[in-house]
Amino acid sequence: MQYSQIVLDHFMHPHNVGKLENPDAEATEGSPACGDQVTMFLKVNPETKVIEDIKFLSYGCASNIATASIITDLAKGKTLDEAKKITWQQAMEELGGLPPVKVHCAVLAVDTLQSAISNYEIAHGLKEVPNFGKDTIIEELRKIIYPKVGEDIVTLKMVKYVGFNDGEVIIDLNLMNFDQWRDNIAEEIREHLKKYAEIKNIQINFPDSQAT
Amino acid sequence: MNNHRIYMDNCVTTPLAPEVLEAMKPYFLEKFWFPGTFISTGEETNAALAEFKEIIAKALHSLPEEIHFTSGGTLANNIALKGLMGANANKGRHIIVSLVDYPDLLTNAAYFEKQGFEVSYLEPDSEGWVSADKLKEAIRPDTILFMSTIVNHVVGTIQPMEDYKKVIEAADHKIFWHADAGQAFGKMHLDVQDLGVDTLSVSAHKIHGPQGIGALFVKKGTKLSQLIHGVTRVDQLQTGGLSIALIAGFAKAVEMTFNDLDANISYLRELSDYLLGKLESTIPDIELNGPRGDKRVCHNINVSISYIEGESITMMLDLNGITVATGSACASQGLKPNYVLMAMGKNHVQSHGSMKFTLSRYNTKEEIDYTVEKLAEITATLRERSPLYQAIHNKER
Repeated sequence: MQYSQIVLDHFMHPHNVGKLENPDAEATEGSPACGDQVTMFLKVNPETKVIEDIKFLSYGCASNIATASIITDLAKGKTLDEAKKITWQQAMEELGGLPPVKVHCAVLAVDTLQSAISNYEIAHGLKEVPNFGKDTIIEELRKIIYPKVGEDIVTLKMVKYVGFNDGEVIIDLNLMNFDQWRDNIAEEIREHLKKYAEIKNIQINFPDSQAT
Repeated sequence: MNNHRIYMDNCVTTPLAPEVLEAMKPYFLEKFWFPGTFISTGEETNAALAEFKEIIAKALHSLPEEIHFTSGGTLANNIALKGLMGANANKGRHIIVSLVDYPDLLTNAAYFEKQGFEVSYLEPDSEGWVSADKLKEAIRPDTILFMSTIVNHVVGTIQPMEDYKKVIEAADHKIFWHADAGQAFGKMHLDVQDLGVDTLSVSAHKIHGPQGIGALFVKKGTKLSQLIHGVTRVDQLQTGGLSIALIAGFAKAVEMTFNDLDANISYLRELSDYLLGKLESTIPDIELNGPRGDKRVCHNINVSISYIEGESITMMLDLNGITVATGSACASQGLKPNYVLMAMGKNHVQSHGSMKFTLSRYNTKEEIDYTVEKLAEITATLRERSPLYQAIHNKER
């Protein structure tokens, strides 16, 4: 599948690109190791909680830049509560679709927006720092896209078990050794979870192999 | 520059030379016959094939009967590797290849591993060079096969074939040696007598010949088990039909490249040096991947551009009518960084930001000027958008 004209337009002429000086909140998601990283900056009206300005920086491919561009368009002018409802599926629709192997870029862009909003809310006493637990891990797994079909690994029932005890994470994945994406998925899980200080060790098991 | 595409991905495939198309035409339109005996059509094809084989043999310094036509380099590699292993499997269980070899060799190595053979993967240095000492250390009493890629397809490193030869010859038992010459053929002098290999593959479409035809050199007396079974039309190793027109085109491309090989090589070297000089003087924070100078093939320049990602760069160049390649994971079907760069010890960012320019005799300095000018603009644009660049840049301010 090729990129749509909308994707190409946003890639060549992205909206809201750059840095915001003195932002009210910011967040960075992804990592250069995974091939893409996005930073978003928010200016929020303290009374109305409307996102008055939003900008992004992107290290990544065309779809990474295009999805960040469209997400910032969607979020601008919305209240924080409204912006929280923006999904990666919506971003994809607005862009006229993405190749399955590129869906993770849309997830990353939405994820960055949600993190920036969450950072704002925590900083302004609008919510507590969420307790870390098994649910946090499952939420992270929902952001990991199986590149062949462009759906997340939880929805695709590839996650058979998640355990968390005393800093130890155990994840059983239903991916066989002939699956060409298996190593990518495992690497991405580690990349997503490494930001949590609560995690000391991650063990990923597959049906037909030793733990990695 | 607006009307024609600038093509700098010649290690993948090259534009067909117009003279090659002309040389093929009669064999498509009139003399389409397969070889045969006693009847004039078959005999005429026999004579033409002998002539074409002679041309290719001369380029490689082999005997004509050591040249076998195949439908491309990958077929040649498979016929050689599976043929050598099939004929010699009872003599040992061990194979040697390097981590930076061409995928044809590495996928065959993986296949042999599945069949129960053991494979040693030699590690390259930071310039993609695999030393003969590594080969020497890896050799075991049961080693039966060594495969090597003469010129690395990603960074253009020329492997030390002479040193390999000494090691292979000094071994206390016969080790069969296959070389992939895809990127070396027509870019450097190759003499199969001197090289000391048992089999060697080349391909027409890397030297402005047609796609779909290649050749395998098999040293006289070397036994290969049959990979492809069927009726012998043109060649006994790749049975079935093979296009005589493509073979005619292959021979013409070889003639054009080898009639003045030194001039071809020095023109490509001049272009590459010019390109690298322009890149290094125009774009800040750029780094050459692979060796500089004589250890590098004449037509390959591979650089990493810091802080930005290669798929974005190649797409923007593409929209400006320029075709180049990148080692970025984002541009690969498997979402993996380039394995050659990673084996050389480069990090993810260096691989994601890598750009490979492979030149041909049809490229010009004017094209290089335009390409570097556009690349400099694109780099500046993407760095403005890049959080990695902004972080470093702000620190410096």
